[in-house]
Amino acid sequence: MVLTDSLKICTVCASNNNRSMEAHKQLRDAGYNVKSFGTGSAVRLPGPSIDKPNVYEFGTPYEDIYQDLISQSCRKMYEANGLIHMLDRNRKVKQAPEKWQNNAYAGNFDLVITCEERCFDSVVDDLMFRMYSRDDSNEVRQVVHIINVDIKDDNENALLGGKGILKLVNMIHDFRQKKKDQYEDESDVILEDQMMGILTEWQKDHTHLPTLYSISYY
Amino acid sequence: MNQQIRPEDIIKQLDQAREVAFTTPKDYPAIFRQVLLFTNNPNSSIQLWCVKFIYDSFINNTVLNQSDKVDLAIDSLDSLFTLSNIKDLDVFLQIIDISTVIFKLVFTYVAENDGCNQVWSKLTELKNSLINKFQSNFPLDPSDNAEHDLSRNVITKIQLIKFIMTVIDYQSKSTVITSNNNTPPPSTTFSLNSVSPTHSLIKYSNMEYESTALLELVLKTFSYDILIAPLISAVLNHSIIIMRRKPQYTSKILNVIETFDTSSKLQSNYQSIEQFKLSRKYVDRIFKIFIHHCLRHNLVPSNYQASLTKKSSNLIEKGNEIRKKNIFAIDEPNIKKRKFEGFYNPSKKIKVMDYSSLYSLNESDNPLNGFNISTLPQYILNNMVVNALQRSSVNKLSKALDIISERYLNALNSTSSSKSTPIPTFGSNGPTIDDDDNDDDNDSYDPETIYTLPPPKDLSFQDKKDQINIIIQNFFKLAKNPNSVNIDDDEDLKVKEEDDENTKVNKELTRIAIKSWKKDSWVLILTRLATRGMRVFVTGKENEVKSPDELENEALSDMIRNSIFDYFLESIHTRIDVIIKWLTEEWYSEKVFNEDLEIKKAQKLNKGKPIEKLPAIQTPIYNKWAGKVLDSMIPFLEPNDRKIFIRLLSDLPYLNEELVGSIKRLCFDPVKSKIGFLSLQFLIMYRPPVKQACLNILKELSECDQEDLRDEAKKLLDKYK
Repeated sequence: MVLTDSLKICTVCASNNNRSMEAHKQLRDAGYNVKSFGTGSAVRLPGPSIDKPNVYEFGTPYEDIYQDLISQSCRKMYEANGLIHMLDRNRKVKQAPEKWQNNAYAGNFDLVITCEERCFDSVVDDLMFRMYSRDDSNEVRQVVHIINVDIKDDNENALLGGKGILKLVNMIHDFRQKKKDQYEDESDVILEDQMMGILTEWQKDHTHLPTLYSISYY
Repeated sequence: MNQQIRPEDIIKQLDQAREVAFTTPKDYPAIFRQVLLFTNNPNSSIQLWCVKFIYDSFINNTVLNQSDKVDLAIDSLDSLFTLSNIKDLDVFLQIIDISTVIFKLVFTYVAENDGCNQVWSKLTELKNSLINKFQSNFPLDPSDNAEHDLSRNVITKIQLIKFIMTVIDYQSKSTVITSNNNTPPPSTTFSLNSVSPTHSLIKYSNMEYESTALLELVLKTFSYDILIAPLISAVLNHSIIIMRRKPQYTSKILNVIETFDTSSKLQSNYQSIEQFKLSRKYVDRIFKIFIHHCLRHNLVPSNYQASLTKKSSNLIEKGNEIRKKNIFAIDEPNIKKRKFEGFYNPSKKIKVMDYSSLYSLNESDNPLNGFNISTLPQYILNNMVVNALQRSSVNKLSKALDIISERYLNALNSTSSSKSTPIPTFGSNGPTIDDDDNDDDNDSYDPETIYTLPPPKDLSFQDKKDQINIIIQNFFKLAKNPNSVNIDDDEDLKVKEEDDENTKVNKELTRIAIKSWKKDSWVLILTRLATRGMRVFVTGKENEVKSPDELENEALSDMIRNSIFDYFLESIHTRIDVIIKWLTEEWYSEKVFNEDLEIKKAQKLNKGKPIEKLPAIQTPIYNKWAGKVLDSMIPFLEPNDRKIFIRLLSDLPYLNEELVGSIKRLCFDPVKSKIGFLSLQFLIMYRPPVKQACLNILKELSECDQEDLRDEAKKLLDKYK
C-alpha cells in the first residue's frame, strides 16, 4: 500500500542503521514516501568492545556490513545484541546507509524526523549552510518541518520510537486530509498554524520521547 | 460564443496548450503570453491553473532559456500584481514563490537597463503588494483578536519571509568584513554592488533604507510578547543568509538575539501551557544552533563573541535540565498568561437556534450562561448595560456586534427554508428584535434590553444639501412664527403636539436648551451657520485651488445665504434689520478669517520675526452679497423709502466704490433720484472712506446729458469738493 498524497518524509539518525531505519521501515510499511539518512561522519556499529567499533563509510551496502559482521569471530555477540537482526532488516529496506549532508540527489523533503538532538542540530545547521553556500539566483526555497524525536539507541527503544514516529506522522497526515470548508476558520486546516498543537498532543502521550521542532528552508 | 464555454473546457484547452509549450520550446513564450490573458478570468479553477502554469514556467523549468524567462517575467508583472490580491491561500502561496524568482530576474534586468521606468514601477508595485501583506492575515480574514492573528496563517508569513529576505539581499550591498576571516559569498551572488551607483531608478540610499526597514519588520517577530515558535525558527533560519552576505546588518540581528529571552515571554491565550512550554524549549534550541553556526563560521564580530558564547552555554544548560525531566511535569509558577482581549466564543455560527446562543460570547460551559438576566429589576439592568457600554472599547464592541451579526446572517441562511423556527430579524440599521407575539414563547427574551447602534454613515453631498434644506426650513418656520418658541413665559409655551411623553420632553428640552432664545435669535444662528459654521480652514495650502470640501461647504453656505436673501426680498421694508445683521456677520467673520490667514502666512514667511504690515484684507463674499442686496433693493424702493435706504448705507459694515456705484442707478430714476442724491450726500458727510467714490459719481453725473441731474450733481460737487 502506497499513499498517493504522502508528504515527502525522511528519518535521520547518526549512522542510518538502527533508529532511522526502524522508523523508515514502519513508515514505509504504512505507505508513506520515506527515505532515511545518517548525520555522523561514518557508520559506526558496536564492535567487540566499546573502544573498537565497527566503522564503515556511508554508502557501504547493508548486505556487505551484514556479511562482514557474521564473518567476525564475535558473531554470537552481534546476534545476541540484535546487530545481525538489525542489518538483516535494513538490507530488506534499502541498499546502503546514506549520509544526510550529501543527500541533495534525493530532492527536498517536506518533513524531516531526526532521532537524536545531535542529529537535529546537524540537520538544522546543515540547512543553514545550504542557505547561503550555493547560487540561488534561479531557484526558490522550500519550507521544511524538522522534528526531533529523541530515541535511545538500542533495539527496544528504536522499535518504540519508530511506533511513536509513525503515530506522529499519522496525525500529521490525517490533519492534512481536513477540508477547509468544514471549518469556520481556514487557520484550523493550515498545518503550519496547527503543528504546535499536534506536537503537544502527541507529546502528552509520549513523554518518554522528548521533541524538538523547527521550520527551515531549502 | 466565448461566454458559453464552460470552465472545464477552457482548462482542457489550456492543458493542451501547456503540452505544446513543454514539447515545442519555441512556442512557449507565445503560449505563456496567451495564458497570462486568462489570469483575469473570474473562475477560480482557471486562475489556479494559470498560477500553476506560471509557477512551472519559472521554477524548476528547464525548457525555457534565461533570456525568455526575463522577458516573460517582465510581461507577467501586471498579472502577478492582480493575482497577488486574490483571496485564495493556494494561489497566494504560489504567487509568493513566483514573485521571489521574478523579483530577482527583473531587478537584475532593471539594473542592467537603466531607464525602464515602467518595468521598475510595476516591479515596485508587486513588491509592495507582497510586503504589505506580511503583517496582515491575507488571504485569511482577520479574527476577533490581534493576538490570535499573530499565530494564524503562519504558512503565508513563512513564505513571505523568503520574498522579503530576497528583497533585502538584492537591495543592499554585500560588504565582506575581512577582519573576521570571512570568505566572500559565491561569485554569482547578486547584490546592490552589481548596480551602477549612478543608476537613475535603483538609488543606493533608497534601496538600503528599505532593506533596513524590511529587516526590522521581519525581526519584529522576536519582540512579540508571545512565542510563535514556527515563525521564530523560520526567521532565524532565514536570517543566516543576511548574517553571511550582509555584515552591515549582523549587529542588528545579533542585538535582537542577545536580548531575546524565552522566559520573558507570555503564554498566549490561544495555546495550552504545555504548548507554551514546548515552544520555549524549541525556540531556545534554534537560538543555540544559530549562535553555534555563526560562531563556527566566523560570522560574529568580536564584540559579540563573549556574550553570545555565554548565551549559548546558558541555552545548552537549560536544555539539558529539561531533557532529564518530563517537560510537562515541571512546575513553573512564573509562567504568565497574556491579557485576554478577545472573545471566548467568537464563532460566527450558532449551534443552537436560540437568542442566548446568538448573543453569547462566553465559553459554552460558562455557568453565567445559565443565568436568567430578565429576573433582575429594570434599573439594575439599565445600570449594568450602561456600565458595560462605558467600559468596553468601541473597537471591541463593534467586533462583538460583527460576530453577532454574522451569526445572525448564518442562522438566517441556514433556516431560510424552514419557517417553523422563529428567528430575530434585522432592522435597517442593525440587529433589532421582531416584536411579533410569536417570539414570546420562544424564550424569556426581554425586548426592553435591546438597543440598536446605527453605524454612522458618510453623508453624500446631496444628503448634506437635503439636511441643510431641512435646517433652513425649520429656521424660517421659527422666523415666521416666533411664538412657537417663547421662553420668557412658561405659560405661553405653545407646543402643538398632543400632551404625551414626547411633548413633555420637548417642553423640558426647550426650557433647558434655549433659555435665552429671543424672537430674532434664529438670524444669529442661521447666519453664523452660513459663515463661521461652514468655513473650512486649510493649513499649509500652497495654491489658490479650492479643495472639494471647501467647494461643497461654499455651496451649502450659499444655499443659506440665498434663503436669507429670498426672505428679505419677500418684504424689504420690514426685514432690513435681518439684512443688516446678516451682512455684518458676513463681513466680520470673513475679515477675521482672512486676517488670520494673512497673519499665518506672514509668520511663516518671517520665520518668527515680528510682522510689520499686513496687506489689506479682502472680503469678496461680503462684497458679492452686499452688492446683490443693494442691486435687488433699488427697483423696489419707493420715494418715501429714503430712511430705510440711508439706514442700510449707514449700517453696512463696509462699502467700496463698486457698492456705492449702485446708487448711480437711483439717481437716473426720476422718481427715486432724490433718494440717490440724498444718499450720496449722506455718505460724503458721514462715511469718509467712500467720500471720494461718491464725488466721482457726482462728477460723472455732472457731465451726463440729463439736465436736471447735471445741475443737482454740480451743486453738490461744488459744495463738498
